[in-house]
Amino acid sequence: MSEISETNQQRRTFLGILLGGVVAVLGAVFAWPVFRFLAPREGAGEGDQVRVPKKEIQVGGAHFFSFQGRPAVLLQPRAGDYVALSAVCTHLGCIVKWVNDKGEFLCPCHGGRFSAAGQVLGGPPPKPLETYSLKIEDTDLLVG
Amino acid sequence: MNLPKLAVDWLDNRLGIKDLIHQNLGGYLLPRNVNIWYTMGSVVLALLGLQFLTGILLLVYYVPDTEKAFSSVTAIMNEVPYGWLFRYLHVVGSNLIIIFMLLHMMSVLFMGSYKRPRELTWVSGFTLLNLGMVFCLTGYLLPWSQLSFWATTVATDAAGAIPFVGEFLVSFLRGGPSVGAATLGRFFALHVMVLPLGLMGLVGFHLFCVRRAGISQPPFGEDYTPRTLGGNFTHEHHPNGVPFHPNYTIKDLAITFFALAVLVAISFYAPWLFIPPDALVPADPFVTPEHIKPEWYFLWAYQTLKIFPSKLLGLAAQGAAMTFIALLPFIDRGPERRPFKRPLFLTCYLLGTLLFVGLSIWGHYS
Repeated sequence: MSEISETNQQRRTFLGILLGGVVAVLGAVFAWPVFRFLAPREGAGEGDQVRVPKKEIQVGGAHFFSFQGRPAVLLQPRAGDYVALSAVCTHLGCIVKWVNDKGEFLCPCHGGRFSAAGQVLGGPPPKPLETYSLKIEDTDLLVG
Repeated sequence: MNLPKLAVDWLDNRLGIKDLIHQNLGGYLLPRNVNIWYTMGSVVLALLGLQFLTGILLLVYYVPDTEKAFSSVTAIMNEVPYGWLFRYLHVVGSNLIIIFMLLHMMSVLFMGSYKRPRELTWVSGFTLLNLGMVFCLTGYLLPWSQLSFWATTVATDAAGAIPFVGEFLVSFLRGGPSVGAATLGRFFALHVMVLPLGLMGLVGFHLFCVRRAGISQPPFGEDYTPRTLGGNFTHEHHPNGVPFHPNYTIKDLAITFFALAVLVAISFYAPWLFIPPDALVPADPFVTPEHIKPEWYFLWAYQTLKIFPSKLLGLAAQGAAMTFIALLPFIDRGPERRPFKRPLFLTCYLLGTLLFVGLSIWGHYS
């Protein structure tokens, strides 16, 4: 009698494991599309270029725009000399402000300071602002 | 140390869950001859759960704005990984829900299960069917395609036939004189917030009614005799029945998986059944496509409106038919539930079904 119940117990355990396996596989089959649907798309916006008319950027002024999904800034420190930088502070990700009087960037969160070329002048930022490649055309600037 | 057992024991000591589970699963006895038509409600419930899930996922990318809605749906279909899958499951699922709701209602009618003491179960179920159709109508507009735009224009226009308040009602439904941004806004709010909340409440009430009254004995076989009811509440017990779990849950799961297989098969191989070519063109308020038709479950109503010489008469006929079905348990009050002992009912049932199918086919080809 005890032998039969032991066999039954083993069968029950085996079927339980089998059922658990099937449920796990089915769950994974359904969970994968949900994960892919919700996950940020790989390479989304990468390689996108942004065209900005030159007239938008004053000499000594800054023009903020969106580049590949992130805030960026275009500067014209001297006439005909253009720089494209990320506007995201390298400290904690706040957006830097252009201080026209001083000719430098200031991060309003923790006082990080960057030069017009994106180099760290002071404060907590660990590294310079990211620089973007820039192509100067007749009337426009092509970033990226 | 067996952690799951400890957790169950901990909960059981506080909430008595083992007793609750026994009362509703192993110890809950159903009639021995419960058939597959008793599983239709569970199928609808499972499909509704899937609609909630796919709907929430679609909300992540859908933009309820007349300028962006169509392109956001196009992006879901073409750019977002598995976006096509979730949209097709949502679209096909909505149609399957109506099909299974209709099958559920037809089987309840055939077996006379709507009769006393289940009047409230019937009324709440019939309201759920109508709520389901309103769900479909409001969801239909959201992709902002030509089909969405004009189907909504025609559907909301029908309300204009109601005397005195018709014109006001049309502009109230649309949020303006014609379908536009205001219509999209209110249909979106209805579809994702108001209707789901209403549906959840009503499903809860429906299930409460089912559980309190007990499962009705199928009116077949030699053992069946119509119940005689007194004036007081009585739960329908089945002392010689079979346990809800596993006897009924297995049957439920089998039919639910069958429905899911149909859903997946249509979504993969024939989604165009529910997404006609006009659904692939963005809405243009200045160009009405030719032969615009409502969804299949509104075709009977569409054809009825065309048959009657005046729109008001057509609407009145529809309203009378719907009211009659809703109030059926209060009209048909005899205790007899065996279909073949109710010749008048059976004749009306068959003719009514034929009329629904006939009008729908006529509406499709007219």
